[in-house]
Amino acid sequence: MQSWRRKALWLALLASWLLVLLRVFPLLRLAVPARPWAGAPQGWPRWLDAELLQSFSQAGELPEDDPQPPQVPRGGGHCDWGACFNVSKCRGGGLKVFVSPVAGPISDTQRGILASIESSSYHSVSPDEACLLLLLGPEAPAGECSPVPQQWNGGKNQLVLSLHPALCPQTFPPGQAMVAKASPAVDTFRPGFDVALPLLPEAHPLRGGAPGQLRQHSPHPGVPLLALAEERGGWRVAGADSPACPWDGRCEQNRGPEQTPLGATLPNATFCVIPGHRPEALHFLQALQIIQDRIFGASAHPSLLWNSPPGALLALPTFSTSPSDFPFYHLQRGSRPVGRFSALIWVGAPGQPPLKLIQAVAGSQHCAQILVLWSSEKPLPPRWPKTTVPLTVLAGQRKVSDRFFPHRAISTDAILSLDAHSSLTTSEVDFAFAVWQSFPERMVGFLTWSHFWDEAQGGWGYTAERTNEFSMVLTSAAFYHRYYHTLFTHSLPKFLRTLADEAPTCVDVLMNFLVAAVTKLPPIKVPYGKQHPEARPPLAPGASEQQPPAQDCINQMAEEFGYMPLVSSRLRLDPVLFKDPVSCTPQEVSQPGETLGESGPGPRPAPRGHCICGGGGGRRPPSLAHLEIQSRLPISQQIFASSTGLPDPHPRPGSSALSQSGVSHCSCCFARCFTNIR
Amino acid sequence: MLLSRLGAFWIMLEWEEEAVCVIMCASVKYNIRGPALIPRMKTKHRIYYITLFSIVLLGLIATGMFQFWPHSIESSSDWNVEKRSVRDVPVVRLPADSPIPERGDLSCRMHTCFDVYRCGFNPKNKIKVYIYSLKKYVDDFGVPVSNTISREYNELLMAISDSDYYTDDINRACLFVPSIDVLNQNTLRIKETAQALAQLSRWDRGTNHLLFNMLPGGPPDYNTALDVPRDRALLAGGGFSTWTYRQGYDVSIPVYSPLSAEVDLPEKGPGPRRYFLLSSQMAVHPEYREDLEAIQAKHGESVLVLDKCTNLSEGVLSVRKRCREHQVYDYPQVLQEATFCVVLRGARLGQAVLSDVLRAGCVPVVIADSYILPFSEVLDWKRASVVVPEEKMSDVYSILQSIPQRQIEEMQRQARWFWEAYFQSIKAIALATLQIINDRIYPYAALSYEEWNDPPTVKWGSVSNPLFLPLIPPQSQGFTAIVLTYDRVESLFRVITEVSKVPSLSKLLVVWNNQNKNPPEDSLWPKIRVPLKVVRTAENKLSNRFFPYDEIETEAVLAIDDDIIMLTSDELQFGYEVWREFPDRLVGYPGRLHLWDHEMSKWKYESEWTNEVSMVLTGAAFYHKYFNYLYTYKMPGDIKNWVDAHMNCEDIAMNFLVANVTGKAVIKVTPRKKFKCPECTAIDGLSLDQTHMVERSECINKFASVFGTMPLKVVEHRADPVLYKDDFPEKLKSFPNIGSL
Repeated sequence: MQSWRRKALWLALLASWLLVLLRVFPLLRLAVPARPWAGAPQGWPRWLDAELLQSFSQAGELPEDDPQPPQVPRGGGHCDWGACFNVSKCRGGGLKVFVSPVAGPISDTQRGILASIESSSYHSVSPDEACLLLLLGPEAPAGECSPVPQQWNGGKNQLVLSLHPALCPQTFPPGQAMVAKASPAVDTFRPGFDVALPLLPEAHPLRGGAPGQLRQHSPHPGVPLLALAEERGGWRVAGADSPACPWDGRCEQNRGPEQTPLGATLPNATFCVIPGHRPEALHFLQALQIIQDRIFGASAHPSLLWNSPPGALLALPTFSTSPSDFPFYHLQRGSRPVGRFSALIWVGAPGQPPLKLIQAVAGSQHCAQILVLWSSEKPLPPRWPKTTVPLTVLAGQRKVSDRFFPHRAISTDAILSLDAHSSLTTSEVDFAFAVWQSFPERMVGFLTWSHFWDEAQGGWGYTAERTNEFSMVLTSAAFYHRYYHTLFTHSLPKFLRTLADEAPTCVDVLMNFLVAAVTKLPPIKVPYGKQHPEARPPLAPGASEQQPPAQDCINQMAEEFGYMPLVSSRLRLDPVLFKDPVSCTPQEVSQPGETLGESGPGPRPAPRGHCICGGGGGRRPPSLAHLEIQSRLPISQQIFASSTGLPDPHPRPGSSALSQSGVSHCSCCFARCFTNIR
Repeated sequence: MLLSRLGAFWIMLEWEEEAVCVIMCASVKYNIRGPALIPRMKTKHRIYYITLFSIVLLGLIATGMFQFWPHSIESSSDWNVEKRSVRDVPVVRLPADSPIPERGDLSCRMHTCFDVYRCGFNPKNKIKVYIYSLKKYVDDFGVPVSNTISREYNELLMAISDSDYYTDDINRACLFVPSIDVLNQNTLRIKETAQALAQLSRWDRGTNHLLFNMLPGGPPDYNTALDVPRDRALLAGGGFSTWTYRQGYDVSIPVYSPLSAEVDLPEKGPGPRRYFLLSSQMAVHPEYREDLEAIQAKHGESVLVLDKCTNLSEGVLSVRKRCREHQVYDYPQVLQEATFCVVLRGARLGQAVLSDVLRAGCVPVVIADSYILPFSEVLDWKRASVVVPEEKMSDVYSILQSIPQRQIEEMQRQARWFWEAYFQSIKAIALATLQIINDRIYPYAALSYEEWNDPPTVKWGSVSNPLFLPLIPPQSQGFTAIVLTYDRVESLFRVITEVSKVPSLSKLLVVWNNQNKNPPEDSLWPKIRVPLKVVRTAENKLSNRFFPYDEIETEAVLAIDDDIIMLTSDELQFGYEVWREFPDRLVGYPGRLHLWDHEMSKWKYESEWTNEVSMVLTGAAFYHKYFNYLYTYKMPGDIKNWVDAHMNCEDIAMNFLVANVTGKAVIKVTPRKKFKCPECTAIDGLSLDQTHMVERSECINKFASVFGTMPLKVVEHRADPVLYKDDFPEKLKSFPNIGSL
């Protein structure tokens, strides 16, 4: 036994030495599980004494360190706002721009920029008053580059604009001047200080090229997948079925993708590869906007405003910086505006207080306030009707454009714009407001006009005649967002507003132009009971030979806008059961979806009664439904129906029994019905 | 067995003297557990055995030293050790003349100083990060270069090592993180630390090396970036200024606040708070303190300027208290009492108070010119903070007052969310830094602005409408009608004939869903003026209706059932024109509604004639073809399979999908209330069946739970032609025959 043990031990000893000598140890190491303890961490070790480790900051050093005087920026790095821009110069009047006189001839592009600044609110005539001095970069052929300008001051608060940097390399160091340059290089670009601009190709209309047109809105399947920009405007395209190319350009030789003729058209491809040196396309005002954003810091544009339609240039930061204050971002964020509306009643020359209208509007549960804009020469009436909502009288300036002034008294997002002679029912107002909440960026109106191209006159015309489509709503009865007052007053050229003041009917056209140019969408029409005899007739062009010059405003506006922004629509939004041969009974079911957009994961109780129409049981054919239901109408409903006794203005053939029964074409009943929409 | 166990011990050997004892004792222990050899042995044998084992042990030790000593610098295998002490890490002596890296190149950018090729093409689009093993560096005299490692840096390396980025294979790594702790410049010797960096095995002028530093500079001038020469290495630094920050190369990180872990601070929602403006920093330069005091004097109660406490009793942590005259406030709790909190530069630009302020849901008012805010490469600080130039400090109050309340609340929410996502822990800071570098290397797979900046509630609740441009597609394109059919050939042919009368129809696609029967011969099909194509499916599934067939060339799609013969040509044409005005919505005919049933506490499907609509039936509906793609490939959860299995509710699923992605309501057109064919008077198919209604309600509940929300929007309008039911000659109307109920 013992000898066996001894032998075994000797064997073990020998074996181990053998292993050592043969260096089989690494193999053995492989045989041993690499991680001897299941789940043991690989990677950074868990220290036994990790708890005892000291913090990186000694006590007392954090959270704050020793007080030190403010640092003086040292050279070598790059300029930023604090160091190289004197913000205090902009404190008074905001961003004011002075254009340094240009030496030598100026190009068309430069002239265009000068004109756009001069007509904008940024322009200043004095270099002392201005917070930004603009120096137009050289456009002259190489060799004639401009020298350092006067009033240079090390470049402080200067903006050097360089649209075609290739023509003239930088002749003087920018110093503390900002450089707004087309396609700048990353080495010289100072992020957060300089502005990068797109580079215009020579064929661009602003550089003397012919205007072009895009025919297709979206790429078709089966067209080339990839296009590569080449020298002088050519494109090389490769189809979706091309074999995968190694990224060394070899596929070009293998396959020779087809090449479009030089300077032909944009490629109809899904992706376009643009080599770094020359990207193409100018928005100078955008550069100013960027600078303005930096100056205002806190009240600057959030990125959402820059990156979604209609773009930051049309979302004035002086109005608000919160996207929810603008009409444009509700729909794309899936929300809808909350709150109520302000009725803005414009009283013109006749000076009759619109008592009936005030009562009808004040009857709406969504009305927050009534503002009367008194633009008549007559004295104010001593007494106004008692309303449940506050009524304020504003003294107007007897200018038509005054009705689109952003009056401080307007406290809600929604405005119901009215004329003294408009006539609406509470139901109509309620329904139109509900529609506006679904489309807060558009105008929602009752009366419409449509524009057309008049071949005979060779110009645009518009008509109030009832047609199958429309492109404008009258502001004598329309809902829209109050932001359009700000845009109307602060972004439209003064010339257009003067035009509207001179020819009052033009003001509707102008407002519709503005909203359509911003949204690129048509307005929305909601049903209206009757065509009012008093409704302002548009001065239809072509109606008579001796048109006053003001009638031509649609053409003047189209010219000023540069295109015809109006978009036609062929639909009208009606209540869901509009003029359906049904009546209804209320059911005790509440609808949690009332506050749209904010429907959280959980349903919220909404106390509002909900109606089910079509006869409660709903098993009957609809043609019979109303007969039985009449007797089951709630009492309030019956009283309402019989007392108003609304005659059907448009009797439908074959449904006379219904319209004579005294039940109006109720869209539904109870709290949320638009019973009086005829 | 014995050997293999010993082998295991070998691997973990630390070649210092104590280790020998560990092995000895352990092996003895093992022997005891074995056949119990030693106790029963005779004396003369015992000598044998002891010598024998000594020889074995010595041999083993010698082998181990011989084999592993040269490898241990690079080998990652020493991480296999489970438990070790930080004090036991290998010591590396740095000769006084060992090389020092270059100072650092201010012009470095990713395309000049970073070797992207090391990262290679990676199907996961994730960079691989290697961590050097921990060493203790001493100089010629044995004096340590720095503290071996701080608690935070240890946590940071642990977080990286636990993440998907980590690799233990130095050859596959694209980014290298030294274990040399440079978080606080004050705790290290600059020249020697630089030498330690330079001797790292893959240093190569610092290419692809990443250093983390939160407290840069030192007295008296407090540089805003780490002073340790580092050549091309990337620096993740807290407190960069525009003068030292290499845009697109360095990463600006927060200064971690130890209070984040130490203090439990329950979240406080946004809304008005007791103080409008609060300054809680202790070490504020006297000039700035004067300015702050002046603001307080002017605005009284709404401004609170706190300072160090001078007379605290023993044992009270001074970092956790702030004082105003004799009033003592708890820090950081007091931050929750303020709407805006001042974050003023100290000697350094980066201040840990920023983290505390964000956590308290207080909007930071950053007054530190040229400071690069943490993670500003990806985070939109305009949404969570107010940056005020030092020069304008006296105007701070009026600047803040001009911000509307609604925006303030959004900023408060955003501030708290930034803290939760990117400031909360060392791990969050480390992973955000790596994500930023990852985004640069794989820009095509980078996180979007929304993914970085939108709080989860917004992300879930918000929509990203793919068809967001306000375009009205040209009418000339027309629409493609897709008829899903099984075997009702006669009815199908009638539908085809009816639909072909619609002027804007440009193609008709029949989806033949019956695998057991062939479609009728070509000659039997109705002759129509547009191309007609038949697609055969592999399986009878409802989702085949919503498949993005290559044959669909128009943007507009009309999905229509093979029994919908009651729709008039005017009705369909009008539907198409309405769709053109609302190309991102479902445009359909009969509308349906979802309701909340309070008794049952669940959703209910409603097909009665209500004056509200939240869904349209897809038995006949226009929509953009993109939604076919979404339905087939991007439908959340198991909804698609569920619908196919139940052969029902594909229309409700489509309504949910479109409403969820666009956030918009459906458009119901024309008065039509149901798809009732004139012949089938008795029973209206299934749709009136009680069990059917229950099933539809179940679908709504199921989908709402999968989507995690109720995306459907309720509206009270429908679209009719402009002159619908107007007192106007019918023959002059564009759509005189708009259909019945």
